Amino acid sequence: MSLAFALCLLALFSLAAIGAPIAHATILGALVYLAASGQDLGIAGEQIIYGIYDSFVLLAVPLFIVAANIMNAGSISERLLQFCVALVGRFKGGLGHVNVVSSLIFSGMSGSAVADAAGIGKVIIDMMVRSGHYTRGYAAAITAASSTIGPIIPPSIPMVLYALVSDTSVGYLFLGGLLPGLLMGLMLMVMNAIISHRRGFQVDEVVPLSRLPQLTARAFPALLMPAILLYGIYGGATTPTEAAAVAAAYALLISAGLYRGVTLRNLREIMLGSVKSSASVGLVIGGALILNYVVASENVPQELAAAMQGMEVSPMTFMLSINLLLLALGCILDATTIILVIIPLFVQAAAAVGIDPIHFGVVVVVNCMIGLITPPYGVLLFVINGTTGISLREMIVEIWPFLIALLIALALIVVFPEIVLWLPQMFGYKAGG
Amino acid sequence: MQGGLRWLRARADDVAVLLLSAMFVAFVVQVTSRYVFNHPLGWTLEACVTLWLWTVLWGSAFCLRHDEHVRFDMLYHAAGRPLRRVFAGAAALAIMVGFAVALPATWDFVSFLTIKKSATLRIPLAYVFGIYLIFMLATIVLFGRRLLQVLRSGPGKDHDVHEGAP
Repeated sequence: MSLAFALCLLALFSLAAIGAPIAHATILGALVYLAASGQDLGIAGEQIIYGIYDSFVLLAVPLFIVAANIMNAGSISERLLQFCVALVGRFKGGLGHVNVVSSLIFSGMSGSAVADAAGIGKVIIDMMVRSGHYTRGYAAAITAASSTIGPIIPPSIPMVLYALVSDTSVGYLFLGGLLPGLLMGLMLMVMNAIISHRRGFQVDEVVPLSRLPQLTARAFPALLMPAILLYGIYGGATTPTEAAAVAAAYALLISAGLYRGVTLRNLREIMLGSVKSSASVGLVIGGALILNYVVASENVPQELAAAMQGMEVSPMTFMLSINLLLLALGCILDATTIILVIIPLFVQAAAAVGIDPIHFGVVVVVNCMIGLITPPYGVLLFVINGTTGISLREMIVEIWPFLIALLIALALIVVFPEIVLWLPQMFGYKAGG
Repeated sequence: MQGGLRWLRARADDVAVLLLSAMFVAFVVQVTSRYVFNHPLGWTLEACVTLWLWTVLWGSAFCLRHDEHVRFDMLYHAAGRPLRRVFAGAAALAIMVGFAVALPATWDFVSFLTIKKSATLRIPLAYVFGIYLIFMLATIVLFGRRLLQVLRSGPGKDHDVHEGAP
């Protein structure tokens, strides 16, 4: 490691540690590197500008953010929930199942866990608490856990970010997430059923089956969205980025036109909220781009890859170590930061020990999403705390069984790459490592 | 003074909303013309990436409050008030100085691009990329202001969702 690189890391970590914005800390770290290695300081700006300006695939990020915010503002979430209540609300722990199933459907339209928790998650928490059958902490905990599926089932903002740093196909990554997402949902429902029986939760009010067709019709335009997205991308009609635009336009169309939930006045609020999310993610991306330039000029990924090969690390050992590392980092860092700053170091090493990059990507994203609910730093817990006022303490007491359910799903995905790779291979992906 | 600042902030928000909305519209136009009318347009693509660049940098410079940035704030929140003051002051000073030192070189890079024009819209790239200079200047001013505030009256209260956390 050169002195310049050591100084860069020192500046980056000390600034980030004392609470400076991550993006500014990375830009400053890069500037320190450029200065110490005698390069032109303008390179930092150049890398950031061209990085954002040249990557067309990144446009999916703001578009998915807009789509999710529109859906949350309109009555789409509420219609979906009524449909899910009619569908799975009749079982013991019914609203818990509704929670997971609605997250599964919603994740087929939105690419963000936070959007899921803040939107449809907030509505279902209110329903669960009002029913009197669940504690506030339980309602919040299962919502946080089911929201992690949002970016696993396509579309997905974190997978777009992984595609950017690893040079893999967004389309195949999205496909690879589908089965793991369903598996996570299944695990959560099993855990909910076990807890409901053990704690004797009462059965919620049952919606008569005769009303199901009507409720399905009410939710149908919204239910059509995942189908449109998947057909658009895998029917070969649109690129994932274009699909993001179609999703946002479709959400606006049904929210404003059909459901009348969005007006011109709240459209400004929706767009402003989207600007803030896009800008804060976008700037972190910019910072990560210049940091990746530094890391690449220091040959760090290559050296790590060579070291892994030299030590003859088995794919499984590598995967386990990476997962433990990411779980530990997930307790204190944000998922965006991990994917953009930490993961680029390991992509080449993973390939060198024989792990398929799509499998690696899906595992990384699932792991980072689990990191969103691990205390003490769990963004989803903060979001739910912010939108519902349920305290972190109540949530954290109830989160553990769901965390275990998700970890089992993660372990299965790690051990059986087919769960990820089967679907992409059906669509012509040639797995390698 | 405060009223004027608030007014400016609201107008900056308006600009950002327009930028993102324009990007969204340009994208919809592109998809429609390509798939409905089978007539791909070149300019929409460039408009989208330009507007995206501007949304990120304009939004970061003028719309995001300090606590709306992605931050690692566990140590910061664990620290007592005097230490927080040191943290906030040191971070603001470092960012202000770092960006100020890099400004001339970045200026050279951007202004050099006056001679180069964008691919389809033929706008000099210096104008397209000039937003980065605006972002840098705004960052220097904003963190300078934050430094003054910290020195004068402490780090201020972050709008924090995990207030009262265990």
